[in-house]
Formats: sequence, C-alpha cells, structure tokens
Amino acid sequence: MSNDFSIDDVDRAIVEQLRLNGRATNQQIANTLGLTAATVSARIRRMEDANKLRVVAVSDFSAHGYNVLMEVAIEVDGRPAVDVVEELVQFPEVFAAHLVTGRYDIDMLVVLRDFDELPDLFLTKFGKIDGIRSMVPAIAVDVIKYKFDVAPIDARGEE
Amino acid sequence: MSVPQLDDLDRQLIEVLARDARVSNRKIAIDLGVTEGTVRGRIKRLQMDGLISFTAITSFGLADSARMAFIGVEVNVSEARGVAERIAELPSVNAVMITMGRFNVLAICLFNSLDNLLELASDQILSMPGVHHVETSIAVKTVKYNARVVRITEADRARLDVAGDDA
Repeated sequence: MSNDFSIDDVDRAIVEQLRLNGRATNQQIANTLGLTAATVSARIRRMEDANKLRVVAVSDFSAHGYNVLMEVAIEVDGRPAVDVVEELVQFPEVFAAHLVTGRYDIDMLVVLRDFDELPDLFLTKFGKIDGIRSMVPAIAVDVIKYKFDVAPIDARGEE
Repeated sequence: MSVPQLDDLDRQLIEVLARDARVSNRKIAIDLGVTEGTVRGRIKRLQMDGLISFTAITSFGLADSARMAFIGVEVNVSEARGVAERIAELPSVNAVMITMGRFNVLAICLFNSLDNLLELASDQILSMPGVHHVETSIAVKTVKYNARVVRITEADRARLDVAGDDA
C-alpha cells in the first residue's frame, strides 16, 4: 500500500459528486465540475486502483430481510477476547464486531430476520463458544441513521 | 414499514452493484442474461423503494488515526427520539439508533483524536437537554465491519429527485 498517495481538490470534488449519485456518468460529473469526461474517468480509476475509493451500491437493512438489529456488549473471562471474537464473527448474524476499551471486551452488532431466531443464536450458536461471561444487549427500536462514507477498503480481489 | 418482496434478480443486481456501482446497465444485462430495460427498471424500483442507494466510500486518512467509538447515551425515554435526531445531525456521527437496554440511544462515530471524541461526547451530546449520562468505548480492533448495508432514510430518497439518474 502506498503512503505517498495524495488527493487534490479536483479529486475531492469528484468524490463529492459520486457521494451524491454514484451512478452519475463521467460526462455528467464533468459538466458539473467544468472538466472533461476523460479527466473524470482517469481520476476515479486512479483512486480506485490505489484502494482509496469504491463507488458502490449500499443497501438498506430491510433489503436483506433484517428486521431486528441489536448491539451486544460482551464480557470475556478466562480466554483472550480476540479468540472469542474470531469465533463470533463466523456467524452471519454477527454483522460487525470490535474489541473495545471500557467495561466490556467486545462490542458487536447482531442482525436477525425475526426475534424467533434469537434463542437458537444465543443458546445454540453462541453457547458453544468458550469464554463468554456475559452478554448485554441494547435492542434497536429505531435506526435513525446508519451510513459509513469512510471505511477500510480491501483490495478488489478480496471482496 | 412494509418491505417489497425481492426476487433472485433483485438480489443479483444488489450484489453486482455493491462491488462496483459504475458498471453499465448494458454490461449488467449481458452478465445476468436480461435486457437493458429490465436492468434499468429494476434499479430504478430498488432506488425508489429505498432499498439501494449509490454512493462513494473512501479510505482517505483512515490509515492515519481514525478510530471508531461507541457512545451510549442515557436520556429520558420521552426525549430519546429528539436527542437521537439531534445526534444524527452531527457530521462525525455515522450511526444513531434508539435502543432498549443499558442506554436509550447508541451513537457510532469515527474520530481522529481523543480531543475530537471528548468534544463530541461531553460538549455536544452530554449538554443536550434530557441527557443524563454518556458512556464511551473505543474500538481498538475491528474484526468485522460492513459498510455496504445501511439505513436509507427519507432524506436519501428525496435526494434522488434532485440527482436524477443516468442511463
């Protein structure tokens, strides 16, 4: 990964247009910004090739049938938290997971289609993992905002 | 909210476009063995139903210092929605949900320095009327993360009318 990659105001303006509409054509972006379509195309490609930019479709939780979202904080005991989290993330219901500072060791987001799926997930699936001392949930009753414009970007092939 | 039924073609479209949103309708049509008109119509419907949205994800500056933090907010239940909506307006906050559990509102943010985080948690959120307590925990290691699944809001949908579409 190159550390000397730099972006200028033109790159930033193009990214801003793409955030508004990722499907805008190179020509539309060029017209808005007073550039040529070739410049827009080359700039986007340069940022993509350096893994600094991805123009993507993001989809709503509901498009995947996820009707239940909860945050779960976990206290780990008798085992490195990093080992426990590696087992937790194997389950597709674990949507995001982080090792965190503070009173709990692991913070994760869990998605479910239905609350009926909860007993199996907690008792059967999580129940097989050693080292979980307690799990404390906060159930989302409404998601006001959930969107990350900035994220770690993997190389194309790994996605 | 009633969720429109998605079929296999919808799911395939979402998968293709999640990898790269700038692939042409023509190429998608050839790859999936359908007509360009079908692709255009399906994309339009998915957008109108608030199921997909096209955006840019960048990693600028992320390698340097950006970290994720979880901010749990204890607020009077009657004021939870108002506080959550105000927190959602703060630019460094990426996610806000009203919750039942050990706090009433959970915010997830990216921050560049501890000073930024302190300002956000203490100066901005704790000072909101109805907020009693703010508890912050910082992600020291992210093991799983998915920036492709989001909440598409009414505001995102309204923007469609302004941005129009290509093709």
